[in-house]
Amino acid sequence: MITVRDVHKTFPARNGNAATLALRGVTLTIATDEFLSIVGPSGCGKTTLLRMIAGLARPDAGAVEIDGLPVSGPGPDRAVVFQQFALLPWATVADNIAFGLELRGMARAERTTIANDLIAAMGLRGFERHHPRQLSGGMQQRVGLARALAVNPAILLMDEPFASVDAQTRRTLQDDLLKLAERSRKTIVFVTHDIDEAVRLADRVVLMSPRPGRIAESLPVPLPRPRPDDLDQAPEAIRLKAYLWRQLRRMQQDPPPAFRP
Amino acid sequence: MSCRPRRAGAGRLLQDARAGWLSLPAGIVAWEIAGRVSDFAFLPPFSAAVTAVWRMTWSGELPLNLLASLTALLAGYAAAVCAGIPLGLVMGRYRRVDAFLDAYITILLATPKLLFVPVLFGIFGTSRLTQVIFIFLSAVVIITVNARSGVRGVDAGCVEMARSFGATERQVLARVLLPGALPLVMAGVRMGMGRGVRAMIMGDMLIAVVGVGALLRKYGGRFDAASVFGLLLVVVGVALACTWTIRSVERRMTRWTEEA
Repeated sequence: MITVRDVHKTFPARNGNAATLALRGVTLTIATDEFLSIVGPSGCGKTTLLRMIAGLARPDAGAVEIDGLPVSGPGPDRAVVFQQFALLPWATVADNIAFGLELRGMARAERTTIANDLIAAMGLRGFERHHPRQLSGGMQQRVGLARALAVNPAILLMDEPFASVDAQTRRTLQDDLLKLAERSRKTIVFVTHDIDEAVRLADRVVLMSPRPGRIAESLPVPLPRPRPDDLDQAPEAIRLKAYLWRQLRRMQQDPPPAFRP
Repeated sequence: MSCRPRRAGAGRLLQDARAGWLSLPAGIVAWEIAGRVSDFAFLPPFSAAVTAVWRMTWSGELPLNLLASLTALLAGYAAAVCAGIPLGLVMGRYRRVDAFLDAYITILLATPKLLFVPVLFGIFGTSRLTQVIFIFLSAVVIITVNARSGVRGVDAGCVEMARSFGATERQVLARVLLPGALPLVMAGVRMGMGRGVRAMIMGDMLIAVVGVGALLRKYGGRFDAASVFGLLLVVVGVALACTWTIRSVERRMTRWTEEA
């Protein structure tokens, strides 16, 4: 279980820009094995929140805990999938996938076995010796996902992972992720600005308000698992998406009064 | 896969990169002809220069002095590579270290290293050590500056990714920043070699009484143009050989930048 309790975060003033309050009093509980989507307008601090859970950023106040233990940095229980893939351009697909295992000191033979399994599972066979720039965006993100899965994390943190690929590829990647989520037991925190995507994938959608970011709403997705093929036509999905759109538009039209610390 | 359109006739001939192999032989032929045709004592033909090299080789004069010069080069250059790469990595990674050392690097980058020769004389005398330090100073700056740029050019997302997988600071340096900076590091190593060779010759001529530079001074004083040109050939040969060797290592290490 991930517990985020009353978290505040301010980014200091820089280059003449005033200090920005990114998160104000964010409280959120994510159950073990839950698939949670965080949506919100850009700049609402959703990526900051994800980085805190990953241990890549620290809250100024408040606490982030995983199973009751405070997060003090990155840990083997978590892995991140990045929006810009963050693949090592000099390493092959196989070496990129095994990179997390390499950092943890796993022997080459062992990590090659794991990488090969994931290469097969991700449909990357035949591209083992390729370098990232020889792959399409969609395939690069498959490598990014495989690298995260290689370390077998209990928690998968995904930061707008499909935002940099074309619409068709995004669909395929979403379907693959759905299958993965339904097959394996993992807690998944999925940050996106795409409401359709959030509803398609998640058990619950959390809506964040614009800066300073707060949790505006938390809505369960009333759709069965495994998700039906025609889920975009399901009336529950349509209703939820319409509601989220309305809320999002309302937030962007009249932003909350400026916060004065 | 090339998008370059195929040209016909002369255009296509001029596009051929293999023409690079012709440039040196063409220059040599032109030199030989100019040397034979002109009656100018200070332009001996290519063949005379080669003969002079042959003579100096068999008299033992050239091998001995070349060995002395190359030993100094190797010592100074190796020290420059060993110091410059880690220094550049650290300066690229840690803003505080960079802020502290940047002024010195800028000074060394902007001033002719020749200015340091009298200072080095004062401290170390006319020993070989002075020359080695001179070569070191000449080569180390460009290597450091390149390594620093290389580190700064590494995608910050890759560093963050490594940290998210629990990489230690040491792993970030060794597994992410060094390999990511490698293309520029190697370019610096190659440019450092050029500067090292230049410093070797200057050091020979100004500081040491042995070495190729000292020979140059000796034959220059005797107005023996053939020997001077011969020594020039040797120096150029050494410089080219060193650069080509480094470049082939560089290609092997940074092959990933070429594939598309």
